[in-house]
Amino acid sequence: MQQTMFLRAQLLVMLLLLGSILLSACGGSAPEAPAAPEAPAADTSTEPFVFGMVLVGPINDGGWSQAHYEGALYAEERLPDSKFIYIDKVNPADKPNVQVEQVVDELVDQGAKLIITNSDDFKDGTREAAKAHPDVIFIHASGDDVLTGLAPANLGNLMGKMEYGKMIAGCAAALATESGRISYLGPLINDETRRLVNSAFLGARHCWTELRGNDPAELSFEVTWIGFWFNIPGVTLDPTQVANDFINSGTDVIISGIDTTEALIEANKATQAGTPIFAVPYDFEGACAQAEEVCLGVPYFHWGPSYLETITAAERGTWEPSWQWLDPDWDDINNKDTSAIGFIKGAGLSDEIGAQLDEFIAGLADGSISLFTGPLNFQDGTVFLAEGEVATDEQIWYMPQLLEGITGRSE
Amino acid sequence: MDVQIRNLTKTFGSLRANDAISLSFAAGNIHGILGENGAGKSTLMKLLAGFLQRDSGEVLLDGQPASLHNPAASLAAGVGMVHQDPMDVPAFSALENFFCASPRSALPSLAVARQRLTQLNQQFGFTVAPDQPLARLTVGQRQQLEIMRLLACGVKVLILDEPTTGITAAQKTALFAALRRLTAQGETVLFVSHKLDEVADLCQTVSILRSGRVVGAQLPMPQPQAELLKLMFGQAGAPAPPRQAAAPPAPASAVPVWQLHQITVREGALSVPNLTLSLPRGCVVGLCGLDGSGQQLLLRLLAGRLHPERGRLLLHGTDVTRAPYRAFRAAGVEYLPADRMHDGVIGAMTLTEHLLLTSEQHGLIINRADARTQAETAIAAYNIKATPDTPLVSLSGGNQQRAMLALLSAECTGLLFDQPTRSLDVVSARAIWQRLLHRRAAGTTIVFASADFDELLAYSDLLLVFFAGRVSRLLPCPTMTAARLAELIGGVGFAEVAAHGG
Amino acid sequence: MADKPTTEAVPEALPAPAALRALALPAAHLLTSAGIIIGGTLLFTTLVLLASGTSPLEAYRLILSGAFRNPRTIADLIMLTAPLLLCSAGLTLTFSAGLYNLGIEGQIVIGAVLAMVPLRLLPDLPPPMLWLLALSAGAIGGMLWALLVGVLRLSTNVNEIFAGLGLNFIAIGITLYLVFGPWKRPGVASMSGTEPLPEALWLPTLAGIRLAPLAPIIALIGMGVVWFALTRTHWGLEIRAAGLNLAAAERLGVPAHARLFQSLAGCGALAGLAGALQILAVYHALIPNISSGIGFLALLVVLLVRSNPVWVLPVAILFASFSIGSIQLPLQLGIDSSIAGVLQGTLVLFALIAQGVRGRG
Repeated sequence: MQQTMFLRAQLLVMLLLLGSILLSACGGSAPEAPAAPEAPAADTSTEPFVFGMVLVGPINDGGWSQAHYEGALYAEERLPDSKFIYIDKVNPADKPNVQVEQVVDELVDQGAKLIITNSDDFKDGTREAAKAHPDVIFIHASGDDVLTGLAPANLGNLMGKMEYGKMIAGCAAALATESGRISYLGPLINDETRRLVNSAFLGARHCWTELRGNDPAELSFEVTWIGFWFNIPGVTLDPTQVANDFINSGTDVIISGIDTTEALIEANKATQAGTPIFAVPYDFEGACAQAEEVCLGVPYFHWGPSYLETITAAERGTWEPSWQWLDPDWDDINNKDTSAIGFIKGAGLSDEIGAQLDEFIAGLADGSISLFTGPLNFQDGTVFLAEGEVATDEQIWYMPQLLEGITGRSE
Repeated sequence: MDVQIRNLTKTFGSLRANDAISLSFAAGNIHGILGENGAGKSTLMKLLAGFLQRDSGEVLLDGQPASLHNPAASLAAGVGMVHQDPMDVPAFSALENFFCASPRSALPSLAVARQRLTQLNQQFGFTVAPDQPLARLTVGQRQQLEIMRLLACGVKVLILDEPTTGITAAQKTALFAALRRLTAQGETVLFVSHKLDEVADLCQTVSILRSGRVVGAQLPMPQPQAELLKLMFGQAGAPAPPRQAAAPPAPASAVPVWQLHQITVREGALSVPNLTLSLPRGCVVGLCGLDGSGQQLLLRLLAGRLHPERGRLLLHGTDVTRAPYRAFRAAGVEYLPADRMHDGVIGAMTLTEHLLLTSEQHGLIINRADARTQAETAIAAYNIKATPDTPLVSLSGGNQQRAMLALLSAECTGLLFDQPTRSLDVVSARAIWQRLLHRRAAGTTIVFASADFDELLAYSDLLLVFFAGRVSRLLPCPTMTAARLAELIGGVGFAEVAAHGG
Repeated sequence: MADKPTTEAVPEALPAPAALRALALPAAHLLTSAGIIIGGTLLFTTLVLLASGTSPLEAYRLILSGAFRNPRTIADLIMLTAPLLLCSAGLTLTFSAGLYNLGIEGQIVIGAVLAMVPLRLLPDLPPPMLWLLALSAGAIGGMLWALLVGVLRLSTNVNEIFAGLGLNFIAIGITLYLVFGPWKRPGVASMSGTEPLPEALWLPTLAGIRLAPLAPIIALIGMGVVWFALTRTHWGLEIRAAGLNLAAAERLGVPAHARLFQSLAGCGALAGLAGALQILAVYHALIPNISSGIGFLALLVVLLVRSNPVWVLPVAILFASFSIGSIQLPLQLGIDSSIAGVLQGTLVLFALIAQGVRGRG
């Protein structure tokens, strides 16, 4: 009897384990052929230039990783003698026991001469891998090893100036709000996310005061950090819950800083229920599609042009390690061939506000609006920028605190 | 329904549990199946009831070949079995058990089931309250419930495997009356037992199995008892039990093994209050009473497995009222439970391993060769049918019981034994008692609980009678008769023997 | 069986060659079982692979050979096998005691957390001493965490499965708190964990590959100790007795509850050691997913070998090789590497089925 019970318990445990394994296996995307179909270039005598990518999320996540993936395809298309290989979902949940270094080894084995890693989490692993493969060029997107001097000679950093995207998002929010209460759904706290919250705040405050002529003291800008880039039940705050708390406290525009679209969904629900709420999602061009009516627009990344440039330089042997922080193309921030970041207006934006927003973008473009200009104080009252002082890139990159005027934790 | 069995064979590994068995049972009769433990009775019955699948042979019901490949098929064919340990769901009520274990065709709804249960209860004089939780029913009531369930399912052949084990005399009387009434209605009853008197009392025919073979087929009753015993046990036969020698007188000055001072012990609803007694060295104390009257509480109290609510308990003169079980063991007290496989021995382990576990002096590393030699010695000394490396679970009941005895420490001074010979055949039971009496002669005090008057009267020096939460004083056995004991258990004249007048 | 013509009162029909047959039967059973396990697993995973439009042969080739391609992958294999082996050895103890220590993940995590303490507090000690401190702290941490399971089970009768799963959540919560709170990198809290340890504190590796020889050595010693304890010592025998039948073991004088406790403590210590190795030899930092599911993988290993310590090593290597080999799958065949998990899980499932079939026969 004892044994039978034991066996039954075993079976139960087993089924649970198996179930979870199968779920994780099926839950992921079924990626298409990894090496994009290469034109019948088999006859060319020259070996193709192979470049690889290590992605933290799935290539079809509709966000951060998909933007990188499409950037790589963009570059591959324009470089006929190149070949793109990748491994996606390199994160502890999808691939436990697999580290960046191991994945890089695989890519190098397949002939990769240049490898892009796309997560802040890959910082240490990319550095170690770069040291282990000195003849391969590494690009760590979003990293700062070159700035901090930790990078070996074959490692460069690349990032788009999303600050501008967030300023535009903040401006759109300030132009649309009725109550003067804007909330920011924050992921985890680090230099990058503080920077982006501050940018959104500056954009909002500018448009609230300059374009609408309101008192800055009447603008409420609040951030709540959920703890990660997406919801992990039991670990992070539940973004759905946070978004609803925002709405219940009188917020009527939510800016999302996380990878998923809870803010947009909840705004839509509230609007359907009779309380008009707007939202600004993040990362991916198509994010508004989930609730067009309440979407004010989305700031997003265009990695293609910069990848093309970097790979071309690597192929020609002219690549130099650098820390690149790329501006949008101010002639047309939505030009896919030239701009590193962009902002697509959403259907929730009225024509009148749209026009004001264009005015703001034009101001950013011609330099007449420079938001990281003093006087600016940090949350604790210390001076960030004195009157008339303009922040350097490094000052913006490493912002130790949120700015005065924002409600929420700095760390 | 007539049952014909033709050349039925069932093997377990190398053991031929049933070897080409051919028997036939006529409808409207009670047929006894006799045999010692391990003779193959239970295997045969389980084949009929679909709990086991035959290797070869066939079974005809009313002349038609029957497919009995699982219990449901057997039930559909009209064959049902009441097991030694009722198989039921303890968390359910009697009615829920009755209802949920029956096919919907038999009992379409709970209301119908309640009606049917009440009706069957009345018909047979059974005492199963429909809404009583099963855990509160006695073994006898659970058996009654199972019989009624099988009847409600339309069973025409009712198999009872050792049905009188663990039930009260009144329940036994009711059971036998019910079985007689059933056969009068044309049912066939197969009555498996090793108790000759019951078979003689109840059955129209008797068939005897030995070592998996039929040695006596459908013999008409009555048969001379000696003849039946010879068939059951072969040439070894079964001589009449020897009347035991009187207890060696214990020196008056000797410290008693156990002394109880105004002890109250309780578990759940059952309690034994205000118990004061003293159990001397070198005697056998029999505990008798209706099933669950507190005998087990006393056994477990004396073993240190249950602590008293009030009072003081001395062991060899030392206060052990709050001492853990291990302290009792260290002082030479051992407890042998009724259910060997539940908490007696570790079924998956061998005798060698058990000897390793119970050896008192041992270092860090086990000495398997040494233990194996010990096991071989024990096997020879206790006549256990096993190798040193046979898991105990695969031994027969008698062999398991002997193995438990073999594991007792030589220094054992107090032995608490719950149902020492339950479901053992006469020869096995006698062998067990031989061992126990040896122990007594060496000064061990043995306290045992049993439902078998013969056993109580044959082997006890002193008796304790439990009735309705009260305990008699220690009664000298030689002055006791079975008739008097039966009265006392039923409460007749209990006040005269009750400790300090109630 | 007894062929002694002793004083058997009742002759039992046992033919003479029974002993021989008894020997032959397990071998036959073993073949049947192996057939069911391997056949069933191949069938199931082949179906899964075909359903995803991949050549099963190619996939199997990559999974099986991927880990043995070159010294680098073999090094990775060994570094994954080491903690897996420690956890499997620990679970062999608890399985023998009849306990389902699903809390092993949490025990790895707490082991890793405690291993970080000396590394953070006393970074100036000589590295070998720090390693010793970190490994000891890890073992103690895992042990204490496992004992919590024991306390919950024995004092409040909370089933060890639920207690363990609950404590896993708490352990991960503690790690997240530390990684994003007190132990975060200067100014940055990141899923990639704490600031990496100075290289001097990493367990030394062989030149050019990520193989720290100390890790497999510790794992093999742990494995050996468990095997010896379970098969050769009284303590191990008593653990098995307590696991098979607690009540009977107690009756026979075995301090059964103490043995349950000790088996948990032993398992926790080994899991904690694995956690410390994850810090010292693999990740060189505390990361949120420091256990990487190795505890659950070890559960599968032990379910498959039915707590027979002899088979733990080969099966652990096999499972680790699936994990390492499957990294190639997305690159070469465009299928998800989680097929390795399917393979591991299916193997165990069919092993249980085979066992069930054997139990019936």
